[in-house]
Amino acid sequence: MMTAFLGSLLLAYSSMLALCQGLERHYKQVWGRAPTLGLRRVLRLAGWLLLIASLWASAQAWGWAMGPVGWLGLLSLSGLLLAWLLPYTPRLAVYWPLAGLPVWGAAYLLAI
Amino acid sequence: MKQTLTQSMAWLHTWGGLLFGWLLFAIFLTGSLAVFDQEIDHWMQPEIQQTSVSNAQAVEHAVAYLQRQHADASAWNISLPSERMPALRVTAGDRRSGISTYLDPLTGEPLVVRDTAGGTFFFRFHYSLSMPRNPGIWIVGLAAMAMLVALISGIIIHKKFFKEFFTFRPNKGQRSWLDAHNASAVLLLPFHLMITYTGLLIFALIYMPAALDSLYKGDFAAFYREHIDVMEEPHQAPTHPAPLTALAPLLAQAEARMGPLSGVVIEHPGRSDAHIEMRRVLGNRIALTKGHNMVFDGVTGELLAGPPELRPSVLAQRVMFGLHFAQFGGYPMRWLYFVCGLLSSAMIATGLVLFTVKRRRKYASESPLGQQLYRLVESLNVATIAGLVVACIGLLWLNRLLPVELAQRAGWEVRGFFALWLLSVLHAWLRPRLQAWREQLSLAAVLCLGLPLLSVFSDGQAWGDSMRLWLEVTVVALGLLLAWSVWRLHQPQVQHSERRVRHAQAQVN
Repeated sequence: MMTAFLGSLLLAYSSMLALCQGLERHYKQVWGRAPTLGLRRVLRLAGWLLLIASLWASAQAWGWAMGPVGWLGLLSLSGLLLAWLLPYTPRLAVYWPLAGLPVWGAAYLLAI
Repeated sequence: MKQTLTQSMAWLHTWGGLLFGWLLFAIFLTGSLAVFDQEIDHWMQPEIQQTSVSNAQAVEHAVAYLQRQHADASAWNISLPSERMPALRVTAGDRRSGISTYLDPLTGEPLVVRDTAGGTFFFRFHYSLSMPRNPGIWIVGLAAMAMLVALISGIIIHKKFFKEFFTFRPNKGQRSWLDAHNASAVLLLPFHLMITYTGLLIFALIYMPAALDSLYKGDFAAFYREHIDVMEEPHQAPTHPAPLTALAPLLAQAEARMGPLSGVVIEHPGRSDAHIEMRRVLGNRIALTKGHNMVFDGVTGELLAGPPELRPSVLAQRVMFGLHFAQFGGYPMRWLYFVCGLLSSAMIATGLVLFTVKRRRKYASESPLGQQLYRLVESLNVATIAGLVVACIGLLWLNRLLPVELAQRAGWEVRGFFALWLLSVLHAWLRPRLQAWREQLSLAAVLCLGLPLLSVFSDGQAWGDSMRLWLEVTVVALGLLLAWSVWRLHQPQVQHSERRVRHAQAQVN
């Protein structure tokens, strides 16, 4: 259960991150230059796909009845975390999910 | 009034939000704490240990005790130890007003446990403001309606809904407060709309009784019996003494059908019309299954009724109750609700603070009455936001500091809670604004950070079990957050040039 839960959390944050970076003002905030239109489209598409993946993972954790409820909660909290981190530590806001992957991996291997 | 929709909604959002904001903050904060009401109960009853006994064993001890002490009670109620509530509790007579005793689940002997208001106090305050039931419920309902109005009007006036979805610009004074208010409101919008709407629904039959009046002549009990209650009509024949059937097989049968059990109610134990009701732990499904139990014959062990199948209309209602009560989904879901609830409270707080920040520069040009009113708003902000936090953590401190043998101990804890809150109101009125914030938030931070120490000195067994440890860790984390906010308040305040100020004031959104 924890594996699916952590997975859903990481995917939710990543989706919010992708959608956020697809907006010009926030891409500039992190990387200092404007994104190309193609990159913006790719980021937004990735964002929506990760969103759906996050919903699927949430349903693995809780079932399809409770899953959407938990998914909305995870989305909201991820979005808020992102909005809070961006002005203070933009690079950390982008890269911390990578550090989250080993934690997820550990949960997966321990099969909790 | 030749106003645009945005202008009138902005007026509604501002003044409706201000008038009800203090009440709503209190409701949301205590509601968030109520998510962990049983865990807080457990922390406030340090005499109870976490043990693991089987339900059958616990019931055996409970029945033996009840047989010894209350053989001729009209009903026995047994609350079984569960993951959230490790206590074994028996009640003779009516469940709410009978004689309650805690038992040690291992030995079956009675435990002396301190009388406490518990985390249940936060739950009761959340829906009734600790007032008599009906007036309190009506006021909370009014506040919930005001919350819906504030949410919808807020959405209407927020022009840059998607453009500023992730926007937060700190260290810019009023702009930052508006950003924080917008971000926490928009990103948690599903939660806000859901929790407010479902909250209103719970007492819908009180607020809108027309259906109940016309179909059931206002008799709620009749409605409940027809749709939810599982009990058959009572025996009319005279009853005689009869031995109670073995409970262990009935427990197994109920568990197989309904999942973990929270309790057993035995009506008329030892008589021929005895009934045994098995109550399940809430949370197997989203729908709130309170009262949806299995009833067995007390002498033969035959299944009489339940668990009831719900009609679609009742199921829809129960799902919406369940979404608000947050008993489903295990601890991960419970934590999500808790954090979202705290952030909602923060959202309301940022709105209240934003109101005063916006108007601070205009003080000198206001009439003396206007200045007094703004002063009142400022001090109410401190008293409600910081003061309530002090009162809540203070309740936990009172639980350990008040003598255990004090009569009506629970009542004294509640009085202490309100006394602390009242003191914070006075303090907020008398002290200058910034000092009031710093001092009250510092007190809250100290009380939170000191909780583990209090636990050690008052109890001798700090973090005696995992549940209490989790609670103390959470409280310390909240204390660190409060300490950080005090540190922020000691930083030099943001100064603006006059031109920037006028530009900021021109922006509603």
